[in-house]
Formats: sequence, structure tokens, C-alpha cells
Amino acid sequence: MEHQANVISPEITFQHHTEDGEFRKKIRKTTILLSVITIIELGIGLSIYTIHKGENPSHLLVLMFKGMISILTLAKAYYIVSVFMHLGDEIRNMIMTIVVPLMLFIWFIAAFIIDGNSYKNLRNNYDPYFKESTMPKEKKAQPAPEEKPGKQ
Amino acid sequence: MSDTIHIQPGSVAHEAAHDEHHHGHHEQSFITKYVFSQDHKTIGKQFLVTGIIWAVVGGLFSVLFRLQLGFPGQSFPILETFFGHWAKGGQIQPEFYYALITMHGTVLVFFVLTAGLSGTFANLLIPLQVGARDMASPFLNMLSYWFFFMASIVMISSLFISTGPAAGGWTVYPPLSALHDASEGSKLGMDLWIVAMALFVVSSLLGGLNYISTILNMRTKGMSMTRLPLTIWALFFTAVLGVLSFPVLLSGLILLLFDRNLGTSFYLSDIVVNGQTLPNEGGSAILFQHLFWFLGHPEVYIILLPAMGMVSEILSVNSRKPIFGYMAMLGSLFAICILAFLVWAHHMFVTGLNPFLGSVFVLLTLLIAVPSAIKVFNWLTTLWRGNIRLLPSTLFAIGFVSLFISGGLTGIFLGNSTIDIHLHDTMFVVAHFHIVMGVASMFGMFAGVYHWFPKMFGRYLNTTLGYIHFWVTLVGAYLIFWPMHYEGLAGMPRRYLDKSVWRSFSQFGDLDKMITVVSIIVFAVQLLFIFNFFYSIFKGRKVTSTNPWGANTLEWTTPVNPGHGNWVGEIPEVHRWAYDYGKDGREFIPQTEPIGANESKH
Amino acid sequence: MATTATTHQTKWWSGGKSPFNLEYGKLMMWYFLMSDSFTFGAFLISYGSIRFSQNYWADPNVVFNAFPGAGHTNLPLAFVSVMTFILIISSVTMVLAVHAGHKGDRSGVIKWIAWTIVGGLAFLSCQAWEWNHLITGEHAVLVDGKIELIGQTMRGNPWGQLVEGGAVADALKNSSGETLARLVAEHDHSKTLDQLSGMSKDQLLGMINTAELHVRTKGPIAFGGYFFGITGFHGFHVFSGVIINTIMLIMAYKGVFDRKGHYLMIEKAGLYWHFVDLVWVFVFLCFYLI
Repeated sequence: MEHQANVISPEITFQHHTEDGEFRKKIRKTTILLSVITIIELGIGLSIYTIHKGENPSHLLVLMFKGMISILTLAKAYYIVSVFMHLGDEIRNMIMTIVVPLMLFIWFIAAFIIDGNSYKNLRNNYDPYFKESTMPKEKKAQPAPEEKPGKQ
Repeated sequence: MSDTIHIQPGSVAHEAAHDEHHHGHHEQSFITKYVFSQDHKTIGKQFLVTGIIWAVVGGLFSVLFRLQLGFPGQSFPILETFFGHWAKGGQIQPEFYYALITMHGTVLVFFVLTAGLSGTFANLLIPLQVGARDMASPFLNMLSYWFFFMASIVMISSLFISTGPAAGGWTVYPPLSALHDASEGSKLGMDLWIVAMALFVVSSLLGGLNYISTILNMRTKGMSMTRLPLTIWALFFTAVLGVLSFPVLLSGLILLLFDRNLGTSFYLSDIVVNGQTLPNEGGSAILFQHLFWFLGHPEVYIILLPAMGMVSEILSVNSRKPIFGYMAMLGSLFAICILAFLVWAHHMFVTGLNPFLGSVFVLLTLLIAVPSAIKVFNWLTTLWRGNIRLLPSTLFAIGFVSLFISGGLTGIFLGNSTIDIHLHDTMFVVAHFHIVMGVASMFGMFAGVYHWFPKMFGRYLNTTLGYIHFWVTLVGAYLIFWPMHYEGLAGMPRRYLDKSVWRSFSQFGDLDKMITVVSIIVFAVQLLFIFNFFYSIFKGRKVTSTNPWGANTLEWTTPVNPGHGNWVGEIPEVHRWAYDYGKDGREFIPQTEPIGANESKH
Repeated sequence: MATTATTHQTKWWSGGKSPFNLEYGKLMMWYFLMSDSFTFGAFLISYGSIRFSQNYWADPNVVFNAFPGAGHTNLPLAFVSVMTFILIISSVTMVLAVHAGHKGDRSGVIKWIAWTIVGGLAFLSCQAWEWNHLITGEHAVLVDGKIELIGQTMRGNPWGQLVEGGAVADALKNSSGETLARLVAEHDHSKTLDQLSGMSKDQLLGMINTAELHVRTKGPIAFGGYFFGITGFHGFHVFSGVIINTIMLIMAYKGVFDRKGHYLMIEKAGLYWHFVDLVWVFVFLCFYLI
């Protein structure tokens, strides 16, 4: 094995090598896991649809469901990267060089979303036409009962 | 077994095609040696020469619009001879003026100070200083230059179309850049600008990936990360910044291209052109600014970090002292690299950004002062009581520190969102970023060129011309940009064609004339440097010793004119860090020398 | 980690070997993918930013409810889940191809790479159908007091808010005969469009079931731009992945890797393919689920 690795490249001294049976088991497990998560996601997505169709959609519930889907998606991403892309088998430092820069996304996402939201509030405050034409009306033709520029 | 293994470019087996290049002792044709070369040194020189050509073009643009700013209303018939209707009656027309400042910014920020600076020195120094025969992938490295070349061709071609090049400022904010009808420069020129920048992003990505994997994977035996010269660390962080931030610009530009040509509404909303309301609705112009500055701010450090690294190295070598606080330098480079990603919106305080979000950005921005101050302190203490050799390279390095301090301090003013309300878009901003980013990085680049010219061409640059170049440029830079602070504090806006009609600004008329005259002188002196550069390549004093500066780093262990593969025979092994100067009574101890039995610890 | 040799303490960072025990090509691929994730990230985050700057956004369950061959049946998210599974399965076949490569099993590599390519092409075909369906679809939208039939394009979005019954009736009266004929033809398949076009407006109005007719206002235009832009960019990645895999297939078939003695190229192609799958996971989240 060692000899073979040296032929491949002088930079690497060992190769990732897994037992065939063990490997197949791992892949099968991951595939099933990904499928199950996707099905759960679809289920939640459809329940959001039913909530929307209902009389008075609960925004909090929808938001919660969306949060759950996002977490499930992150789990899916974790399995794809760590098992399929074999990142989990790499040296810890290597994993860190991939994971740490991705932390930038936290502030990247937060700042963009906060500013997008603030742009909406600005327009709702200063552009009556925008507010009038885009603010969702409550069902059954009730005039908008409350001023809520901050929430979606 | 691992004792005998040395990492080689394009490793042994799986890139067999490259094997024959290793020691460079077979015949190469002119094409493969100088044009489509895969030798990192040649590619570095290609970047440098292309960068110099761009610098002349970009500098000339600044001279032209300074003529307008210093002498508004005056006619220069020669301009009409050259530029035709763009300078009707010898006066620079508004469209021409905006095209000039836009291209001046674009060319100098991207083509000179990004590609010309980090492209040159990363290519030249990384393999030489880490002890590798070439980059990880010489082929992609070559592609990196040729993508840059294509970007250059597209950008140059935009100068010669009838509607002129992009003219919406180098930041190309929509809607000005998104609507064909907005201005002459928003027509084809803008599309070409976007295409050129997309090619540029590809070039920088190919280069950056190569720099990172070379530094990580190709270090010679004994060259641990903490033994790397600071140049390499700086270039490493530069590459990381580029790899993570340029793609965001690419995304922003793709969306802009869609808005321009496919009728989408990413950045456009509620716009009336010639009395007609456009159908675009729901986009946000601030979004583009976010995307642009997510690159734009790291870009500042992409420009600055290589200069910082080279200055650290040159100051240490030429004051014959170890660099002060190596780990602190490293830590502050790292801190700057991280903070660079977190502070982009301080360019947008007055755009309608959420003020509470803005205050977070103020905090993060002011944090950058800490690592910057550490670096300045360490440079000064490196010089302190050193046995300083005042070569042109040393002078430029010291000039860099001076400019970095004076430009950095004004950054603290601008980083405060409240003060920025008064100072934004004034000449104060122009003064700030030209000193701290533009001129300072230029000084770092000059220092690098003077220092490594012997390695690049086997000859020295003329020192007398070097001194003239340094003093005129330093005095000139301060004469040009220092007064702009006063103009800016008085509220004089940047980017305006003619400010003489305001009573409050007309008092600065003579000052502006002075600035223009000095900028022409400084430009002329740069031409002197370029003459020195090309003359010395062919006729300069020859380098006779392999280590003319008495430096420790690995590039000086190669032959005077290293072939492809850099070292004849084995790659040297490294036994110590790069800064053993003046230790145990010895002037310098190269990295390749094993630690002696009685050697003191540093 | 089942590592064979060199389990003794190796000084990875002291130079002379790869600190990550990776050959440079794989390292470059990883960092390229990270860079690319910022390209996609920037797209998706801009989409989020714009979405948060709107008071109203279309419910994806309403937008994506069609299935090839199912006509007007309301099947929310059905088709996209098929697409998602195709991509997941093709990712699995890619893992198997890479694993076969580790073992130097040429026929295994060829078999699994071929299946991956099939998966990629299937995904692209699905996307083509979906785009076509969205662009050519006709949805009743209230514009200036009339009803117009528009599809989902980069410039227009028919998924605004539902219009109440009274306003719909008024709008129907103002609409052109041709629009009415097409509205009727959507549900009533007993007559051809030509026949319907010949009828009078009153006749047509009588044939429209106002209760079942969903008329909406125009939705946020940015939706279309982002949807086509991002899924298009992802589709472009899938397409280039298929090209890369095809090249790998040909090289494996010709025995190039056997001659080199290793299948590292397959690993890199595999990383790229998994990344395409990874991006889809997030596109799926942002456009179809939330």
C-alpha cells in the first residue's frame, strides 16, 4: 500500500481506503438518510401550503416550519460534504480550512437580509403606493387591521 | 523513505507531461520560453510588464483629468488633436471626463495593483521562497496570465469604440451602469467592462488557487509555515481574499449584465427615463453596492497585503535586523484578512443603509486599526537601531510606512458613520484612499521591483535614477494628496467636472493648479523609472554574486539567472526562519544553514 | 480512518510533504469549490435580500405544481422532488465510481460514471421541461382592470395576490374576446380554440366558472429573474459536470488512468459533481420549500 501511494504522488503518503462492505453499508445508510430528510422536507413544505390555503394563516407556524426545513437542509449538506465528498475522512486541519471560511456566510447572510428588510420598511414608510399595491390583504376583504411594517 | 522525497511541481507521476521542464536544460522555442511560458518567473515578468503598460495608461488618464480639474475652462488644442470630439475645442468634455476617471480607477485598482502587483510578486516569489521548482500547476498559472491578457484586450478595446468606455465610476453603480440610455459610457463600453472584469476574475481565481496550493503543498523540507518569509504569508492571505471575494463580484456583475440586456429587475426599481416609466420594479440599487463592496473592501487588502509583506522583508534585510514581532506580524495579517470580509458596508453609510446595521460596521471597521497599528509599530521597531542600508528599495519601503500611517489615520475619520455624513464623496475620501491604498501599494511595488530586479533579470537598476524616482514621487505624492484633505473638509465633492463655479470652492483654484502641475511632474518621473527599468534589463550593471543583498531567503540560493526549475540539483533544505540577521556576531545566516551547536536562541 | 501506512506521528507542516496529505489537484478543486460556493452564495443571498425587501412573495407550492403528462392536476412540489432524487441518486453513483477508482476497477468506473451521466442528462431534461412549462404557461392576471394571460418569465410574474370575485367579474367584462376564448379553452376541451374564438363575448362569459377561476395580480418581477438566473447557473454547472464526466468516461474507456496507475482525476470530477448536488440542495430550499 505504502509503496503504491508513493508512486501516485510524492505529496501523499497514504490514501483513504475503506473496506468494501463497510463502505457500501455507509453509502447505503447515507442515501437512505438523504432520501428520508428530503421526504420530511417535502412534507413540511406541503403543510406550509395547507396553512397558506387556510382561513387565517399563522405566520409564526409558517416561520417555524421554514426554520425546520432550513436546519434539515443543513443536515443534508453536512452528509453530502462529509460522506460523499469524503471531507470527513480528511485531516482535521484540512476540514478546518474548508469550514472556517464558510463561517463568513453567517455575517454575509445576516447583513444582506437585515438590509433587505430595512429597505422594505423604508419603502413602506415613505412610499404609500408601494405599500398599498404590495401589502398582502387579509382574506375576506377586511381592511388591513394593523400596521406591521416590520414583519413579513 | 520520506527523507529523500522532495516535492516537485506537477508531481512525478500524474503530470508526466511536465517532467521534462524540471531542470530547464533542454532547448525551448521562443514561443514556449517567452510567450506561452509555464515558468513562474517568466509569468511573473509578463504580469509586471503588462502591469507597467497599464500603469502608464491609467496614469496618463489621471494627468488628463487633472488638467481639467486644475485648469477648468482652459483650452489645450493638443487634446483635440489626439481625442477629437471627446475634447472639443481642446476642452475635456463631460463624457470624456467621466470615462477618464472611471477607467483610471478600474485600471489602477484591478489591472495594475491587483494583477500587476500580486500577479508579479506571487508568481516570482512563492516558488522561489518556499523552495519549489514551480507552481503547483504551471499550466493553470500560464492560463491565469492569458486570461488577464484577454481581459486587458477587452478593456483596451472598449477605449476605442464610438460611445467610449464605461463612464459610471469604477464602482459601476446601477442604475447609471444598468441602463443603456443613462449615458454614452453606459452603452457598449459598460458591457465590455463587465466582460473584461469577468475574465479578470477567472484569471485571479486561477492564480489564487495556484498560490494557495503551492504555499501549502510545495514547501521544501524543513520549510514549516512559521519559517516562511512574511512576503509569502502576505501573498497567501492575498490569495485567500481573492478566492473568496472575487466570485461575489462576478455574481453581482452577472446580475448587472442581466439587468442591462435581459430586462430583469435585480437592481432597478421606480425609474423614469425621458418622462417614461420603466417596467422594472422591485429591485434594489443598494443590493449591487453590497455585492460590489463585498469584493471591493477585501480588494483594498488584496492590493495592500503584498506590499506589506514585501516591505516587511525589505526592511528586515536592509536594516540587517530580524523582523520585529514575526508572530505578531502574522497574527495581524490574519486579523486584517478576516476583518476585510466583515466591514464592506462602511463604503455605504449614506446610501440608505440601515443605520443600526451601519453602527455594527463602524465597530468592525475601527477594529482594523488594531492590527494595522501593530504592523506599523513592528516596522518602526525593525528599523530602530538597525544598520540601515538606504538603497532605493529601503527608501520606498520606509515611504510605504509613512504613507500607510498618514493614509490610515484618515481612515479612522471615514470609518465613523457620523463623520462620514460630512466627508463622504468629497476630496477627503480621494486623498485617503489614494494615499493609503494607491500610492502606498505603489511604493511597496517599487520597493519590490528595486529589491528583486537582480533576481528577475540578473542586473541592477540604476541607483541614482532610483533616488531621484523615490524623492520626487514621495514629495509629489504628499503635495498632490495632502491638500485634498483640506478641500474635502471644506466640502468639495469628488467626481465633479468643474468646481470653480461655487464660491466656496473657487478659493481652491490655485491649489488645484498646483496639484495638477505636481501630478504631471510625478507622472514624468514614473516614465523615468520605466526608462530605468527597460534600460537596465539590457544594459544595467550585471549581478556577480548570487546573494547581492546578503539576504537569508531561498531565492538567493539559486543561480544568478535561474532556469526553469530554479535550483540546479537538489532543492535546498531549510533549517531556520528567514530573519537571522545580526545573530551571534554574524551579519546574516541563510535559511539553508543548519543550526550550529552553540547557537543562541532567538 | 482506515489508514494503512504512516500512522506514526508525521510532521505535516514542516515542509517536504502535503500538510493535508492531499495532492495539489484535489486541494485546488476543494478551494475552487469553496470559491464557487461564494458565487452561488452571493446569488442566493441577493435573492434573500430582495425577497425580504418585498411585502409579498409567491408561495412556491402554487408556482411549482405541475407534472409532465398530468395536465392541470394540482401536484405541488411533485416534479421537483423527482428532480431532487435524480440528483441524489446520481451523486450516489458518482461515489461508487470514485470508490471503484480507488480499487483500480476500470469496468466499475465506466459503469458508474455512465450512470452518473445518465442522471445528469435526466436532470437537465427535467429542468428543460420545467422552464418550458413556466415560460409558456398561461395564467390569468389582472392588469389595468383587464385580464391578461401571461407566463412566468424574467420580466413578468403572474403569481401575485388573488383577486376577489367582484373585481374578477368586472375584469372579465373588460377583457378581450381572445383572452376569454383562451381562458375557456384551458378547462373546456370540448371545443377547439378556433371555435371558441368565433363565439361572442357574452357566450364566452357564460362558459367561465368564476368561482374556479384564479385571477392574480402581478407578482414581484425579481422572482423570475432570480429563479431563471440561479437555476440556469446551476443547470450550467450540471451541464459542465456532464461534459467533465463524459471526458472521464472516455479517458477511463481508453485506459488512460490505468496507464497513469491511479484514478485521481475521477476523484476530482466526483468532488465537482457532488458540489453540483450540494448547490441543488440549497436551490431546492430557497426556491421550492421556503
